[in-house]
Order: sequence, then structure tokens, then C-alpha cells
Amino acid sequence: MKTSSSGLKGMICTSAITVLFAACVAFAAPVGLPPVPVPADNPITPEKVKLGDKLFHDTRFSTTGEVSCATCHDKAKGFADGLPVSEGINKLKGTRNAPTIINAAYLHTQFWDGREPSLESQSAQPFLNPVEMGLKDHEPILKIVRSDPEYSNLFDNAFGKTGNQITMTEVKQALGTFERTLISGNSPFDQYYFKGDKTAMSPAAVRGLEVYVGQGRCVSCHRIEQTQALFTDNRFHMIGVSANQMPKDLDELSAAVQNVKEKGTDIAVLSNPQTSSLGRFAVTEDLTDIGAFKTPTLRNIELTAPYMHDGSHKTLEEVVTFYNNGGRLDEADPVPELLSGGIRPLNLTEAQQADLVAFLKALTSPEFAQK
Amino acid sequence: MSMNRRAFLKTTGAGLMASAFPISLVKLAFGGQDPSRDFTFGYISDAHIQQVKGTQFVRNWDMGLIRAVREANLLTPRPDFFMFGGDLAQLGKKEELDHGLEIMSSLRGKVRYVIGEHDYYLDLGKYWQEKISPLYYSFDHKGVHFVVLNSILTYHKWTYETWSSPMDRMLAMARLDNPQGSPFMVGDQQIAWLKKDLAKINQDTPVVVFSHSPIQKIFKPWNFWTQDAEKVQALLKPFEKATVIYGHVHQIQYNQIGNITFHAVMATAWPWPYPETYSQSASCLPKITVPMNRADPFFERDATGWQFVDMQSGKTAMHYQLPDNRNRTIAFDAATGKPQDVTYQDYSRRIPPQTHY
Amino acid sequence: MRKSKCLFSACLAGLIGLGSLAFSLSSQADDFTEGDLKRWNQEFMSVVMKGEKLFHSGDLGTNKVSCDQCHPNAANTHPETYPKFQQQIGRVITLSEMVNWCIQQPLEGQPLALDDPKMMALLSYITYERRGVPLSPGKH
Repeated sequence: MKTSSSGLKGMICTSAITVLFAACVAFAAPVGLPPVPVPADNPITPEKVKLGDKLFHDTRFSTTGEVSCATCHDKAKGFADGLPVSEGINKLKGTRNAPTIINAAYLHTQFWDGREPSLESQSAQPFLNPVEMGLKDHEPILKIVRSDPEYSNLFDNAFGKTGNQITMTEVKQALGTFERTLISGNSPFDQYYFKGDKTAMSPAAVRGLEVYVGQGRCVSCHRIEQTQALFTDNRFHMIGVSANQMPKDLDELSAAVQNVKEKGTDIAVLSNPQTSSLGRFAVTEDLTDIGAFKTPTLRNIELTAPYMHDGSHKTLEEVVTFYNNGGRLDEADPVPELLSGGIRPLNLTEAQQADLVAFLKALTSPEFAQK
Repeated sequence: MSMNRRAFLKTTGAGLMASAFPISLVKLAFGGQDPSRDFTFGYISDAHIQQVKGTQFVRNWDMGLIRAVREANLLTPRPDFFMFGGDLAQLGKKEELDHGLEIMSSLRGKVRYVIGEHDYYLDLGKYWQEKISPLYYSFDHKGVHFVVLNSILTYHKWTYETWSSPMDRMLAMARLDNPQGSPFMVGDQQIAWLKKDLAKINQDTPVVVFSHSPIQKIFKPWNFWTQDAEKVQALLKPFEKATVIYGHVHQIQYNQIGNITFHAVMATAWPWPYPETYSQSASCLPKITVPMNRADPFFERDATGWQFVDMQSGKTAMHYQLPDNRNRTIAFDAATGKPQDVTYQDYSRRIPPQTHY
Repeated sequence: MRKSKCLFSACLAGLIGLGSLAFSLSSQADDFTEGDLKRWNQEFMSVVMKGEKLFHSGDLGTNKVSCDQCHPNAANTHPETYPKFQQQIGRVITLSEMVNWCIQQPLEGQPLALDDPKMMALLSYITYERRGVPLSPGKH
């Protein structure tokens, strides 16, 4: 039997690593959030942030010259785009809903299926997707950043590199650094739960919190902890969204897998709803991941409708109904057979459901709160 | 890179069809020498379909069996056949057996059944024999001799002369930690039958025995136990390649006793604790077993699952399919002469969830 | 001889007197006997036995599932590790809150009040089956 001292050692080790990362952070974490993890090879500097901001908003990195990261990740829309699925060049539709970038720095993987391990590696993918920016390769980006005099200055300040020294590594690191600064906590919930301000949330939201940690079972995946709340467990779960789009038999599944093998995951999953419905399975090829998607954070969730990986839920009320029915929008729908083990009917009353929605609306950070 | 991804790359490299679905035959580094004798069969066990009332059954156990069947139907290339390892019902009721068989009917492929104590002790196997199959039998497949035993019998007096009603008897046997329990056994009648059955085959024919109880003596308080295990093991001793696959324990276990390899299968319904977690009693879990990850009760399917078994030149490799968890593969290692977990056998590779206390 | 006899009687009387005094003193102080210990233990065990019955009954929830189906002999309940941070609930909790979580989730029932005799019985049985294991609060 393990003794408590080895557990303590483990705890100290984990704390040491967190401190190491935290030491690189130039600013304090907001209320309710831990220090943002920073990779050792890409510390945050104001110069990188400024460069990343410009790259993020530059529409020249697309075939039509009209699409930038900010097109689908718009600050005015909670760094999402308010659409069920995003639209890239020529309004081409993908299959997935744009996740918010706010607090994405805390996620262990990026994209709904976690196919990229970091903000840096994720940032280079949409450029090459035919329904996003549409480029064949990154050369047009490098051409611009190496020749544009404004970029010359910024890259020199940020990385001490000019001309052909500038590679996609620097572009990715700048974008990643900019996104890493998009963190926000300090919502009414944080004030209530971590600061002890009992007036910070409405009575309905307070009741909703009870449901959230009790009968609603939300807390088990959308984590709230003793000293922080990321509202995600960074895991992948099949909760039943788009269950009816999933491959029905071996033939359809083989075709979807074939699609992924031929086009690569990034392009395949955005090109075809059935392939997209594979979720994490397209990355791990593990049967237990079929239809599983990453638990997103719920912070600022009020701002980022519509919901779920395919934007199929228009409102928070719909989302709560879906969970209350155990993974179905309509009680009469069949129960998806491959549901993650955490999803089951909740038997919440109408009042409890309304309170839960009120609580979710208390997760909006003041700097993004809509007046 | 996950085990399955690595495995997939290996198999496509070996020239299998390009559209092969990734969960396929894994040609292990220390696998068989004669690929023509290789085949796979699926194994689903311990569904424990439990009636609440009328047509309402415990949703949790239903979902476990439904998921296993659904995933098994996606396995490609298709396994040659499926086994069901016992405890289809929780209290042996006709309604429970029927509901379980209904879910199993969606499984694509031939299914053979092993009886468990939860199926047997209400009507002593009467409905099972009517609807499903005899309680013990053997069959041959691609050069391997398979035997199905009814290993959950017990003393005559306990079975016939102790209980005032069949349901009382069933409830007594259904309770795992029952102070009024009685040890499982194969019994002399079956031992005699087995002796005759095995006399018909060569000693270099691989033999696989399917039973519900372990054909070992692991933990008596919970009937992880077969009273006449040594007698059965003795009958298997002459065979160069002998394997026993058993259910009942609802956890990963594997062992090697002499020439016989033992593998436990997972339950689709719920996991059981390892015997060492009961502090008031000593346990005897096979030393080489690397335990499954500890169950998180929030995820109903955690520490449950199903499995498929590779026969490679007569030796078995057990592939556990574990929802909400890392899959595990236990394969026979010719170098050590024992089954080994292909990822975690080495102590230095263990992970915290494998600590049970 | 008579003098010693008198002395003896006096001593005896004195002793008896002192003995009565001592007797009346011990009925006020918190003194207990082997008999008391045995009886109090029986009182406790009666509640443990009630808990054992409930634990195996299938009546705590609405779906006939009993605690022992997953926890034979209350194994894997780890009462010695509470209070602890329980990730499914998001905060540090006591054993009774975990019991209630199990009643509500896998057993699909209603939580018990913390002072419900049933809860007391369950806690008694669960901890009794884990007797002798050192405390390890917070251990996952």
C-alpha cells in the first residue's frame, strides 16, 4: 500500500513543474484560473504578442485575400464567429463550429478532436485547409512576412530574425504567444466561488451551481476544483451529438477511415460530415474514441452560440435539454449506442434547467460581458 | 503514438488491404511462427442483465452490453466467431436471459455460450439448455480444440437441500461476498467427460478451455475459485499449448501454471475490486498480473469492456477493448514462457492508475 | 487477643466504610468495566449489522442495484482516505457525501440526510469492513 509520503512527493513534483512554467509568465493569473502554461521554448514577450496580433488579423494569408484567423475567431464574438460551422474562402463551409480562443492556452490539445498538441502547431493548419484559407503550402505566408517592411521590424524585434531567417516556426510561435494572452477569468462565478462574494451571482445562478455540481453532474467533465475552475477535463467524450451522422456500418466506417488516410485528418474532417462525426477516432484509431470530442471550457459560453462541435445546438437551453435527456435533443430519439459512460438522463425539473442556464451565463468574464 | 496506431502501421506494412480498419490482427513481435494457423475470436462476458420491473432493466448494464456488441460489429477483419462468457442474466430470470439474448442477436457472427452462476442457480440451467445450448461441450476450429465447461457447479447438498425456494438459492449465489456461499467446481461427471474428450486429440493440438470460474484458486471469499482446479489442470498438462479463458472476476487477470496460460475477460456490466483491496482477508492474485486501471465511478463504462483473442500458432493474445480507458494487450511471450502485458509488464512502466489498495 | 480482634474489626469496619465511600465515588466518575465495553460494542455492532443489510439490499436506490454489486465486503470504498478532494464532485468531501453520490448516480436514488439512521448504519458497516487500515486522508 502506497504511503501518504509518496503521494506528497508526487504532489510536490507536479507543483514544481507548474511553478517552472508559471515563472515564465509576465502577468498574474485571473481569479479562478491557474497561471497559464507557457512552453519552455516560447516564452511570452510583448514583441511576440504584437507580432502575433498582426499575423492573426492578416487576411493576405488566404487565396482570396479575405480570410484571416480573426474571420472565424472574432473578438467581438467571443473569439468565435457565431455560425454553426465556420465559413472560409468564398464562404466555403466546413463541418465544425469555431471554438473560442479565450483560455485555449489551458487546453492540453487543440481542435475539437485534439489533433494538434499546442497553440503553435494548431496555428499553421487552417492556412492549408481548402475550406479555410485554401493555401497549397505556407510559401505565400513566408513570402509576405519576409518582404513586408512592417513584418521585418516586428520579426526582428520578436525573434532577432530577418529575411530568409524567418520560418513558419517563428510565425507559429508569434501566433501562439498572442493567443496565450487571451485568457480571462474573474466572472461573477469566480467572484462568488473563489472570492466569497455571496452577492456576485443571482439567486437563480446560485441554485444553478447546485444543480451543476449535484444532480446535473456537469462538474465531472466541466471541472470546477477547490482553487481553480478550467471547466474542462481535457478529455474526449462521446455524448451523442450528431450520432445519426456517424457511420452506421462497417462499410461506411471503412470509407470514412479511408477518407482520413487519403486526405490527412485536418482536411478530411472538415470536408465531410460523416468523417467529422468520427471525432477523436480519426486521430487515435481507437474504437473507444469513436464519436468522442474534447470537453470545451464553459467560460464565456454565453458569447459563443451555437454550441457543440457541429454547432447543432442553437441555445444553452437546447444544450441543457440535450443533457437532461441523456444525449438526445428529443426524448423520443433513440439512445446513441456508443455513449460515453458519463451520459445518462438527469431528471431535472424545468426550474432546475432554467437555473442551470442562469449559472452558465454567470461564467462570462467582465471584459467580454455584453452590455 | 497509441498502441493501435503502431499496430495499424505494422499490419499495413505487412501488406494487408489498404482499407483495413485499424483494429485488426496484431502481428506481435513474439507471436506465432505459422501465420496460416492464425485467427481471431471475440469474447463478450458478464452482462448481468438485471430486471428492475416489467420491461424495465438496469440501464447501466444494458448500455454495457449494447456498446460491446456495437463495437464488436465494427471489428475488421471479422473474427471467426464469438464467445459469451457467462452471467448473461443477474438473477437467472427468463426475462433477463431473453433481454440479453435480444441484445446479443445484433452481433454479426456465430456466438457460442458459456454458462455462469447467475444464469444457472434459479432453474439449474433448464431455460439455458432450452434456449441456448448444452451446459458443457467441445468443438474444433482451424486445428484448435475448444472446450466449454460448466465450472460453477457446487456441492449437491447446497444446491438441492438447503434452500426453501429457487430464488433464495439464486440470491445466495448472486451475492459475491456471501458468508453462506459454496465454492465453484467442475465436478466429477464433467471431469470424466473431459478426460474422454481430450483423449481423442493429439498432444500437439492447441487446447482452449472456456469456463466461467477461473479453474484456479485465487480468492475463496468471492468465489474467484474452482475447488477441483487441480484435477482439470492435470488433464490439460500433457498438451503443449493449453489456455484457459474465464469470466466471473470482472477484471484483468492472467497467469501461467506449468504449460497452461490463463486469461480473465472483462465484464460489460461493472468492474470488481481486486481481492487485495479487502483488508480483512489475504488474497492470491497471480503475481504476473498487471492490474487494470482503477475505475472512475463517474464513467459507467470505466473498467468494463469486451475483448478479442488472437490465436497465433496455438498461443493466445488477449486484446482488451476498454471504453474510456487505454486498451490493453496481453500476449504470450515465448522468451519468458508466460503471458505478458505488451506495454506495462516491466515495473518501471507502470502508471499510477494501476495501483490498487 | 481481644485487643487485636477489636483492632481487626475496627480495620474491617473502616475498610468496609472506605469501600462504600469508594463505591459511591466510582458511580460518579467516568469509570467503565469490561462488561460496559462489551455492551457498547454490541450496540455498535447492531448498527454495523443494520448497515450490512442495507448495503446488500438493493433498496437504497430505484433500480434494485445494491452497493455490494460493485463493492463486495465494501472493498474499494476506502473510508480511511476521507475527507479527500473528489474529482467527480469538484471539492473536498466526506465519506457520507460520497455514499450519497453513489446512491444518486449508479443506484438512481435520493440522497440520505446526513443524520439519517440509514446513513449512520452504512458508514458503520463500511468503516468496520476496513478496520485496522491506517488513516490516509486526501489519498486518491
